[in-house]
Amino acid sequence: MSSENARRLHPVAVLFEAVQITRHWLGVLLGGGVAALASNGLPVHVVVAAGVALLISGSAVWGVLYWRTTSYWIAEGSFVLHRGVLSRKQRTIPLERIQSVDVVQGVLQRLFGVVEVRVETAGGGSRSPEAVLPALNREAAEALRRELEGPGTAGEGRRPPDKTLRRLSTGDLLLAGATSGQIGIALSLIGAAWQAADNFLPQDLTLRLAERFAPHSAVGWASLALAAGLLAWLLSIGGTVLAYAGFTLSREGGMLHIRRGLLERNEATLPVSRIQAVRIVEGVLRQPLGLVTLRVESAGYGKDAGVSTTLFPLLPRTRAHELLLAVVPEFAADPVLHRPPARARRRYAIRSALPAAALAAALILLFTTLADAGPPGLLPVLVVPPALLYGLLRHRDTGWAISGDRLVLRTRRLSRTTTIIPLRCLQSRSVVQNPLQRRARLAGFQVSIASGRGRVHTTITDLDAASAHTLLVRTGSPA
Amino acid sequence: MSEGPCRRLDPKARTLWRVHGTLFSPPVLAAGGGGSWALLERAQLPPWLAFSPGVAAAALALVLVTVLPPARWHRWRYEVRGEEVDLERGVLWRRRTLVPLSRVQHVDTKSGPLQRRFGLATVEIYTAAGSEEIPQLAVSVADELRENISALAQTHDVL
Repeated sequence: MSSENARRLHPVAVLFEAVQITRHWLGVLLGGGVAALASNGLPVHVVVAAGVALLISGSAVWGVLYWRTTSYWIAEGSFVLHRGVLSRKQRTIPLERIQSVDVVQGVLQRLFGVVEVRVETAGGGSRSPEAVLPALNREAAEALRRELEGPGTAGEGRRPPDKTLRRLSTGDLLLAGATSGQIGIALSLIGAAWQAADNFLPQDLTLRLAERFAPHSAVGWASLALAAGLLAWLLSIGGTVLAYAGFTLSREGGMLHIRRGLLERNEATLPVSRIQAVRIVEGVLRQPLGLVTLRVESAGYGKDAGVSTTLFPLLPRTRAHELLLAVVPEFAADPVLHRPPARARRRYAIRSALPAAALAAALILLFTTLADAGPPGLLPVLVVPPALLYGLLRHRDTGWAISGDRLVLRTRRLSRTTTIIPLRCLQSRSVVQNPLQRRARLAGFQVSIASGRGRVHTTITDLDAASAHTLLVRTGSPA
Repeated sequence: MSEGPCRRLDPKARTLWRVHGTLFSPPVLAAGGGGSWALLERAQLPPWLAFSPGVAAAALALVLVTVLPPARWHRWRYEVRGEEVDLERGVLWRRRTLVPLSRVQHVDTKSGPLQRRFGLATVEIYTAAGSEEIPQLAVSVADELRENISALAQTHDVL
């Protein structure tokens, strides 16, 4: 069962587990307590006190048992995690199946100077890590990480020094927050907070507040909206700072190390061999400033698609290729792109403008017949030109190229994204044609790659049909 | 442009898809008929307008049973050659897909109750990014194809 080199967690794990168990059962306890009160009329404070005492002592005992029964070791090329208070569970993960080892330090862990280690294998994207060690001291974590990453990628014994390649400066961090484009999310948060306040505070209080401070003019409302927008913007800056402060990217042999986070320190390790594609993303607010974000698609990693897949949060577009060359030369490519033919422009425009026109027509019909709005009822027409422009922009931004053994695809949805995929990472390729495209001798081209989010398709549409078929054949694996 | 794949599905696929179409027709016809009845009785529309949903439903059912199955069969081609599995299919939305053998993780055959009556099976080819299907092959052909792709995938396995 056990092995001679079995190791235990840091004793503070007792506390962590106890806190978790307490949190977990608190709700149950409160519900049960209320039910008990209703049935037999004991004084409230007695029941609550007894319940809390029972819960805390129970959690403490459980925490100790948990710590005593949890151990891990490395034997015969596998990582073994042994645990279980009531039922014994032993999980064995072959070292070569380990996809990444992340070191996370939450606020609680920082207080005690310990870290949490998460071991991930290349399994499905949506599950939790295969093995979590909630409390180890720094040295133990570092030692474990070295052992887990030992075989496979880096050479025996002669590791090149860990060279820091890029740090995110404070100025860039704030700029990243200011241009993150997550103001909408922050706005909805503010709305939710207002709703919650409305529910929890006494009814007349919010009403009185509203009466007292509600604006009485259009200017007042406009300034209120502006203030809300500003607050949302500051919130999105705050969120970015929390996630990306101290962002450092370095490479060591076949491993990328990414450190980030203000309150919760995250240290992720990603084997370069597992990366399937790199994306250069130019957000709506960032493109005018010539700034991009670098992301990676990696097999079995990156469940929260936003943060954990960020290779570098913010840099000038002109420097992106240079950074890729320095850090992941396997994915550096900056070729001149082929473009869809000019005759495809009409289809791009129609595809984007037609839904907008239909929407506008429906709204105009509604306003003029039902609401009898008069001339202002024709205003929905205004949505058509932007949609038309968006279609033309998509046509302008679509592009592709094969550069050595790499495929480069550029598309635009809201942000413009350039995806660089080694040919060996293409799982399948398709050419798609509908009847209208056949008439216009155009076709779409689609590739699928493996990713932490399951399968990911990237599609470029309305290429010249012959070039699409050429592309289909030429993206075959290099012999 | 290279020549597309050349192998066809089992001819019995047409009959099986006709059965599928027939099974799918009653709800289509019921919806169309119900629509027509509502327009005629409730909305008091002129008959030629009221009958149009019913007529459309009947036409759709006819297409599902008579036109679509042979057309689909005619369009569906597959072939394993060289380094890749080559698939071509689709009547209106035509789609050609290439899956390199070196990306194939495993291959399944499956056969539903109706397929078993016809002695047909579906081959499902899994990669790290989902799966592709070749439907309605004779069971013996499907088994042979599964073994074949599996063996080739192992020889091409370069990681």
